[in-house]
Amino acid sequence: MAIASPPSAVVPTRILDRTEVARDVILLGIEAPELVRKVRPGHFAMALLPGGQAAGVALGIYEARGERCSLLFFLAGDRTRRLGTLRVGETLNLVAPLGNGFDCGGTARDIAIVAGGVGIASVLLPAQALIARGARVRLFYGARSAERLVEAERFATEGCELHLATDDGSRGHRGVVTELLARQSAPEAILACGPTPMLRAVSAYAQERSIPAQLSLEEAFGCGVGGCWGCVVPILRSSAQAPPFPPSDADGSDVVHARVCVEGPVFWAHELRW
Amino acid sequence: MVDSTAFDVSARIGSLVLPFPTVGLSGCYGSGAEFAPYVDLSRLGAVVLKSVTRRPRMGNPTPRIVHTPAGMLNAIGLQNPGIEWYLQHDVAKFAQTPCATIGSVAGFSVDDYAYVCERLAARSEIAAIELNISCPNVAHEGETFACDPDLTARVVRAARATTEKPLIAKLSPNVTDIGTIARAAVDAGADALAVVNTVRGMAIDIYQRKPRLGNVTGGLSGAAIRPIALLAVYEVARAVSVPIIGQGGIETASDALEFLLAGASAIGIGTANFADPRAPITILDGILAYMAQQNVRALRDIVGAANTGFANSNQIEGDEG
Repeated sequence: MAIASPPSAVVPTRILDRTEVARDVILLGIEAPELVRKVRPGHFAMALLPGGQAAGVALGIYEARGERCSLLFFLAGDRTRRLGTLRVGETLNLVAPLGNGFDCGGTARDIAIVAGGVGIASVLLPAQALIARGARVRLFYGARSAERLVEAERFATEGCELHLATDDGSRGHRGVVTELLARQSAPEAILACGPTPMLRAVSAYAQERSIPAQLSLEEAFGCGVGGCWGCVVPILRSSAQAPPFPPSDADGSDVVHARVCVEGPVFWAHELRW
Repeated sequence: MVDSTAFDVSARIGSLVLPFPTVGLSGCYGSGAEFAPYVDLSRLGAVVLKSVTRRPRMGNPTPRIVHTPAGMLNAIGLQNPGIEWYLQHDVAKFAQTPCATIGSVAGFSVDDYAYVCERLAARSEIAAIELNISCPNVAHEGETFACDPDLTARVVRAARATTEKPLIAKLSPNVTDIGTIARAAVDAGADALAVVNTVRGMAIDIYQRKPRLGNVTGGLSGAAIRPIALLAVYEVARAVSVPIIGQGGIETASDALEFLLAGASAIGIGTANFADPRAPITILDGILAYMAQQNVRALRDIVGAANTGFANSNQIEGDEG
């Protein structure tokens, strides 16, 4: 893990394309050639809202190729809805790239990517990197309904094997995606991004089988750049990602808080104490 | 851009002169270094560092942040490594900061404040000390200090006895009469006042049927509290004559100018950095543009210019017509 990020910057980008890939799910293509050069799988961006007056929104960087990056997000609240009003030709400022990213190296040949909901936005770049180095990549992808299972075909096109689940059974397995994962042959390594309950289930599955699992965490951000300590997660002091901190008067001395935005967002499942 | 050398935007905080009136606020701005990729820190007046306590603190459980209409709630819980570790590992780095660094001290007893203040103020990297007597997010009712004039005075007096460096008392808006607290702080030796800390608040998840913050309650910041903070500055400026660092939801130069006109000498920028890390510079440039347009040569000349007192209730009703 712990891929050192290249220095991030405020990057002014221009909206190249805007697609409502499903109801209330937006794919924004942006012109950002410098960002394409810097971004690594699992990096994220703080999207500064047009007109300001509210904190930026942390978004996974979905695609990065040539001059174009893209951002995939759900219209879930006031801030994402404001981002959703952006039109082709308008400017979007990003603070990017941020975070440590997934480690897509190593020798594992059979890798499971587990994605839930909007977590899919952070796993295309790692899927591409893993396939490019010759790994078999199985995508376990869960969403509320078939309509919300956005971009699944894109992953098939990239060479992933699809294993789909929906809460309502409208496509694939009816139930949670981690049930699907448990039914299949165990992978050598796991990368996951999605809601916290899903990540906890992935973590339990991986630790029972001693499979190395990298989890990209979801947490409410303030600044996104390490200045506010709003987005922490308890982690073993012995982790390479643990920030220096003295033994505390609470919670035992083997655990410290790491910032999801700086030390993460990707952590080893076995090092988290959440 | 306006030629900034033609205008005096300096602000005095006790014996400390800030070349610019804009300050990155405690808890929002790390040590400043976190924002250095996005902002020329040499164009800030100062950075107020995250509060430090006598003992290490892990802080509150998550979620620590909830975004709310026109603002956000936070309940970080004073996570910090404690003063001994801080002095050994962190403070030396602040010498590299291209603007003044103001230390921030929090505690749970008068003795805590005096102890941490003395040790921190002794360091040359620290230009001044903010006494955070108004954190709403810790057990043991940390905010109690800023809600009681006598406790406020005791903390400030004890800290005053330990250092000659400028002392800034950070006041709470969660009080009935902030002027009384301000007078107590100044009488006890505060050189300046930070007005104000966050407003207590909470949010509830209606589907999980529980509070959204791990700490249940938190501190509200952002535009939602701006009129509350502005009035607090106005009232404090009428109660005391020491410099005020106005803070609470300031997002634009126009907001900053309102606080200056109400009586603030300097401007604290916190939550606005999360909307755009370039906010302190944008605000400074906007203030300079206003000065050029309004023919204001020194920013101090307009401090408190709108602070003309309160209308009586009859006049307020009359204004409606």
